[in-house]
Amino acid sequence: MIDTGEVSAFRDLHTRLGDAVESAVRGKRDVIDLVLVAMFAGGHVLLEDVPGTGKTTLARAVAGALGGVSRRVQFTPDLLPSDVTGTSVYDPQTGQIRFRPGPVFANIVLADEINRAAAKTQSALLEVMEERTVTIDGVGHSVPDPFLVVATQNPIDLDGTYRLPEAQLDRFMLRTSIGYPSVEDELDVLRPGSGAGRIADVRTVSSPREVSSFSGRLALLHVADPILQYISALGTGTRTDERLRLGTSTRGLRTLVRCAQVYAASKGRHFVVPQDVQDIADPVLAHRLVLTRESVLSGVTTSEVLADVLSRVPVPKPAAQ
Amino acid sequence: MSRADGGNGTAGTGDGRGSGGGATNAPAGGSGAVGSAANRPASSSDRAASGAAGSAANRPAASPHRPSGHASHRAPGNTTSHRASTHSATDSLLKYGWVTALLLVASLQLAQAWDGAILYFGLAALTGFLALLLKKLVPAGLAALGVMVVAMAGGFLLARGASPNRDPAWVLLDTVPRLLTAARPAPATPELLVPGLLLIIGISTGAVLSVARRGTALFVPALGAAALYVSAALLTTGRADRYGLVALTLVVILALGWLVLDRRGPVLPPAVLATALAALTLLTFVLPTNGFEPRRLVTPPVTDIAISNPLPQLASWAAQGEAELFRVRGPEVPLRLVTLSRYSGASWEAASTYGPLGVVDAPDLPTGGKFQDASVDLRITGLQGEWLPGVGRPQAVSLSNAMVDPDTGSLVVAEGLRTGLSYTVRGVLETPSDTDLVEAQVPTTATKYTALPRLPFTLSEYARQATQNARTPYEKAVALEQVVRLNRRPDAEAPVGSSYARLETFLFGSPGESGAGAGTAEQFASAYAVLARAVGLPTRVVVGFQPVPEENGERIVRAADATAWPEVYFSGFGWVAFDPVSGNGSGPSAASKREVLNRLASTTAKPTPTSLASVPPLVQPTAVDPDAVAAPEAAKSFPFWVFTPVLLLVALYVARTSRRVRLRAAGPVGAWNEVLDSLQLAGLKPKPSRTVPDVARDWGEAGARLAVAVDQAAFAPRPVHDENSWRLARQVKKAVRRKASWWRRIVWPVDPRPLFRR
Repeated sequence: MIDTGEVSAFRDLHTRLGDAVESAVRGKRDVIDLVLVAMFAGGHVLLEDVPGTGKTTLARAVAGALGGVSRRVQFTPDLLPSDVTGTSVYDPQTGQIRFRPGPVFANIVLADEINRAAAKTQSALLEVMEERTVTIDGVGHSVPDPFLVVATQNPIDLDGTYRLPEAQLDRFMLRTSIGYPSVEDELDVLRPGSGAGRIADVRTVSSPREVSSFSGRLALLHVADPILQYISALGTGTRTDERLRLGTSTRGLRTLVRCAQVYAASKGRHFVVPQDVQDIADPVLAHRLVLTRESVLSGVTTSEVLADVLSRVPVPKPAAQ
Repeated sequence: MSRADGGNGTAGTGDGRGSGGGATNAPAGGSGAVGSAANRPASSSDRAASGAAGSAANRPAASPHRPSGHASHRAPGNTTSHRASTHSATDSLLKYGWVTALLLVASLQLAQAWDGAILYFGLAALTGFLALLLKKLVPAGLAALGVMVVAMAGGFLLARGASPNRDPAWVLLDTVPRLLTAARPAPATPELLVPGLLLIIGISTGAVLSVARRGTALFVPALGAAALYVSAALLTTGRADRYGLVALTLVVILALGWLVLDRRGPVLPPAVLATALAALTLLTFVLPTNGFEPRRLVTPPVTDIAISNPLPQLASWAAQGEAELFRVRGPEVPLRLVTLSRYSGASWEAASTYGPLGVVDAPDLPTGGKFQDASVDLRITGLQGEWLPGVGRPQAVSLSNAMVDPDTGSLVVAEGLRTGLSYTVRGVLETPSDTDLVEAQVPTTATKYTALPRLPFTLSEYARQATQNARTPYEKAVALEQVVRLNRRPDAEAPVGSSYARLETFLFGSPGESGAGAGTAEQFASAYAVLARAVGLPTRVVVGFQPVPEENGERIVRAADATAWPEVYFSGFGWVAFDPVSGNGSGPSAASKREVLNRLASTTAKPTPTSLASVPPLVQPTAVDPDAVAAPEAAKSFPFWVFTPVLLLVALYVARTSRRVRLRAAGPVGAWNEVLDSLQLAGLKPKPSRTVPDVARDWGEAGARLAVAVDQAAFAPRPVHDENSWRLARQVKKAVRRKASWWRRIVWPVDPRPLFRR
């Protein structure tokens, strides 16, 4: 069991990281928080957004605040798996085959426009995301810890892209979008001399070691039985909804529990409350749901269906323990 | 269910105490939790409150933190049982003490329906704890079943002893109608105690077992207590709790249980029960005589037996003379064979409906105030037929198959008498004194005993003339005895019959006519009874045997001793025998009668009415005193139903208030439920899918702070109760109330809807 002191420490760290990132990415605290949640929960984030909303800035700012290594891979149709994972090369000086790590060997990997690469390359990245090791010539090379992949996907202009299959979407812990900033924030960003977008100014407020030490402890955060029942009921709700071809898997629900734990801790609580579940249900679950063809044609989105389910399933009633 | 009983919970305590023995930094951790939790929504203005909450946190934080988190994360039930077990010893002591008090009060109340059953019922009230012991070995359902099976088997054996010839399947079922047809209070005989004992054992078992588990624990005891109370009230028509004190005690005990013991159960069922108890008490208190009488619903286990009328047999007995009928040991009293109360104009008829004896319902006319017990042993030596000789109004007969007509006390044995049959009859004899009778009145309502279908005018006129100087019923009765006896002779050879025609011959027949002026006891008694009925005296005819002298400790009753006599009913003194044959039967003393006759003879005859058509009323209206059992008119006429809405409102208010008290005691969760209640009352009930912070957001800072406390109380591993939550809830409630429409605010305190919300 994780105690309140530890939670306060985590909350401080989380706030520090968030503040630091926000100095570069204005007005997007909720998205920043989600990305941080994914990082602490040991998952990866899929950002679905149009270009120019600050996806890259976000990823690099997180890396900067963390004090870790950040790499960016622009996915193109001709990108090869080895361009992502790294490859063995012959070193003429030593006369030996040497492993040259690819861009995945970083704490924060920004996989830009992941859907533009061929399925083979996508798979290579997804495999690393899941396994956290790169195996070349029978030798495993571990990626550093923490390891956060922030993949972006352009929802428009889908010509010549390779859509990520549903099974692979499941590998992403969260899917969210940044969206345009509010008018005030946009003015702030536009104003010459503002710090927005300047990665160099992001203070380093933590270390990869500190982050990974919390990451393991947060899995012990208390989740009361009624909360688990609620989460299970949400899963059943998605599975029985007629508009969905595929509801949430048990893995999806486990991920929800995991994220709720980190999310609750980020709010300074040493226990999960139903509001946490509701707050992160959409980013965690929506991309795992598959609509029926009729629903697709009628223009419903999985987020809307999930919102319906959330408004249908009663939250656990507070009861004295 | 299994979680409630000690095993799991105790293990949890041991674990927690053992591992956390040295956790002296627990208070610091606790206060940190509250502080940080409170900081988030309420920013810095909240410092003081969080500080207070932090210090309040010291108390619950004494329960040790468990350093290793794995176990508790995997076993979600642990926190519950852990908390439950810290208070389990005092809690269960309180719980069982409470249920014992409730059961004892209710059982002892029920015991009043019996005579001397208090000890048995008090013990039976505790049998639930046997089931509790048994529950340690087998599942609770099986334990309850076991206790009930044993109890019913015991009840069967007890009741079987009372009616050995009955079909075994009916033995237990028979006890209920027996009880409902028994005297009040019922004697504490096994077969009559069985229904009450079984009821108490069943309720005790259910109540104790249900208290042993959590959740709906207190509902079953309340239901059981109510059932016992209602049973007692019905069996005694409310006399057991004349002033409602027992009901009040039960309600208080129930309320204490709800307020102190279990704050989780629903409020509505106990509120309904309490209201029902209160209403019942009010009814039994205000309208004691109009109480519901369950006995009317139950047909006593009766049997229709068509038995020949023994009156005509008097002549044949008279002819048999010395033939021995039966032998008697006991006091010298007249023995009754059968009492005939219906007269058709052609003959006398006996009752045809008989019930089991031993304990019988009260007769249709109240018994007199002065009694004398008599007990005789009889041995049948020659008597035949179904009628069983008895004494007085029988109270007990040693024959189990004897049945009785409760109105007349006539005993029958459906299988018929057989020679050698020995039995004991205990009966009650009415013993009014002569002076009582002089002024005694007769009821006018007893039409069954004054009915004379198509009475010939000669007879009614004869009766009127015979009693025209008599002032009181007693004087009339004595005058008629004299009139019937005078100038008529007993004759064993006289023609039988008791029709109007035979009686006219007997009374007015010209000499030489067969049976004129001569008759057996049948004609004397019948003539007297018809004439007495004609002047309004309730009268019946008894066939029986004259007292005979004792020989060697035994009285041998012979055929010649058979006789018949009339009995007249006097209000307050019961049935009084007269003897128109000899003038000196077992009734009033001869001296008393002589005194009356002397006075009547000395009174100058009033002028007789000139016209036969204008026959004066047979009973003077002034002489009529209505029987004492008139219902109190005032109580009836007052419309008590007008109190019903008031009572309902009061009950609703009490239920709502008690819900509030319980919620207040339930910490932040209770406070939140109070907020939800007020939201519902204001018509703003939130959707069930909305979370606490989401709902609370609309109600300002107090709401947000309350939401934090509620979430913590509900979902944190070791909740620290925020003492402020009720105050916050009150603030939110005020805000909610301001938003409610005016009419909702009017019905606010008595709106029952929150009672239905779980």
